[in-house]
Amino acid sequence: MKDAFQAGLSELLGREVEITEPVLLAGGASKEAWAVDADGERLLVRRAAATLIHHRTLTLAQEYAVIEAAFEAGVKVPRPYGYIADLAGREAFVMERLEGETIGRRIVQMDELAAARGRLPVQLAEELAKIHAIPAERLPFLPDARLERRGEDLDEVGEPHPAIELGLWWLRKNRPPERPRVVNHGDYRIGNVVVDREGLVGVLDWEFARLDDPVRDLAFGMVRAWRFGVAEKRLGGIGDAGPFVERYNELTGLDVRPEELDYWELAGNVAWAIGTLTQAQRHLSGLDRSVELATLGRLSAEVEYEICHLLEQANA
Amino acid sequence: MSERPTAQELTEAVVEFLGGEILPTLTDRRLRFRMLVALNALGIVHRELDALPAEDDSELRELVRKIREGDVPPGTLRRVKSHVEARLRIASPQFLERYR
Repeated sequence: MKDAFQAGLSELLGREVEITEPVLLAGGASKEAWAVDADGERLLVRRAAATLIHHRTLTLAQEYAVIEAAFEAGVKVPRPYGYIADLAGREAFVMERLEGETIGRRIVQMDELAAARGRLPVQLAEELAKIHAIPAERLPFLPDARLERRGEDLDEVGEPHPAIELGLWWLRKNRPPERPRVVNHGDYRIGNVVVDREGLVGVLDWEFARLDDPVRDLAFGMVRAWRFGVAEKRLGGIGDAGPFVERYNELTGLDVRPEELDYWELAGNVAWAIGTLTQAQRHLSGLDRSVELATLGRLSAEVEYEICHLLEQANA
Repeated sequence: MSERPTAQELTEAVVEFLGGEILPTLTDRRLRFRMLVALNALGIVHRELDALPAEDDSELRELVRKIREGDVPPGTLRRVKSHVEARLRIASPQFLERYR
């Protein structure tokens, strides 16, 4: 593998580089993540895995274009170095390897990150405001998210899940007035950001980027599963929604109402419930046999319970 | 209760993991032997589950079809929630305990 990386990175950077032995990092079923240093520069190489995570995700080339656009818009993202069409037989892109914590449970619980948690809500709002200002015409390939698609995804799974169905029914019935669509990150939550003692270092994992209602991104990090055990802190287990939403409103000039947040938090739960099922399908279909993916299918019940709870609160 | 992955499918996934990824790393002869015994035990569980009749989920499918059509009579949410609760008692009982 080292020779392929040596050749690929040298061509990309336009000079013969000295590289360290590439190390395959854990996690990331759809894309491999390789840590490698080239002439002392810390790089992360995302390379296609054997299978796609989900047919609604962007291709690697598209994801790279989104990261580039975000970088140009001043969003805290890893510096993009370039796209490689063929790295040992598969496509890949290269970016800076940021230093910090990405594991959700640690970000939410580690004592050393207490001060960072205090800063994160406002920092997350500031980056999101910048993401939503990325000109959509810069990324013409982004899919347009529609609620109807969620029903199609659920039908593809082919299992009866009345709680998810009830969630979809309520979402169809209670749509808030549509806001102009913006570039959405699509998976904006603790677990997809890099955090150090100072707070937010960078935003990762752009493969779910799409055009959608801005409040969709704003509320996704409030989904209970992304609070990592600290359920009483609605924003990703790190804080209240208040300061986050206020800062976002201040920067964007929008006036996001609490009932809109509630709506999109429920929508986020419905999306993630379907997500657990489609992930389990990858195992069941034989596409990617893994005991983790298999177990995820049963985790759906947790998300469905939360959907029922939110529906009760909404007096459905 | 019809759940995917089914108990059989979960057992299969564990057998594949232990047999395919863990067993080859075991160098201690005694541990290797005990792992083979454990895999055999899981094989028994798998075949026993396989012999059970398949669950009937036609009632659930009917409920889902009705909700999709917008036919949601009062009490539907309560019924659906207690069904999810029953699944959780199997899949994740500690989640239910901690839920406030």
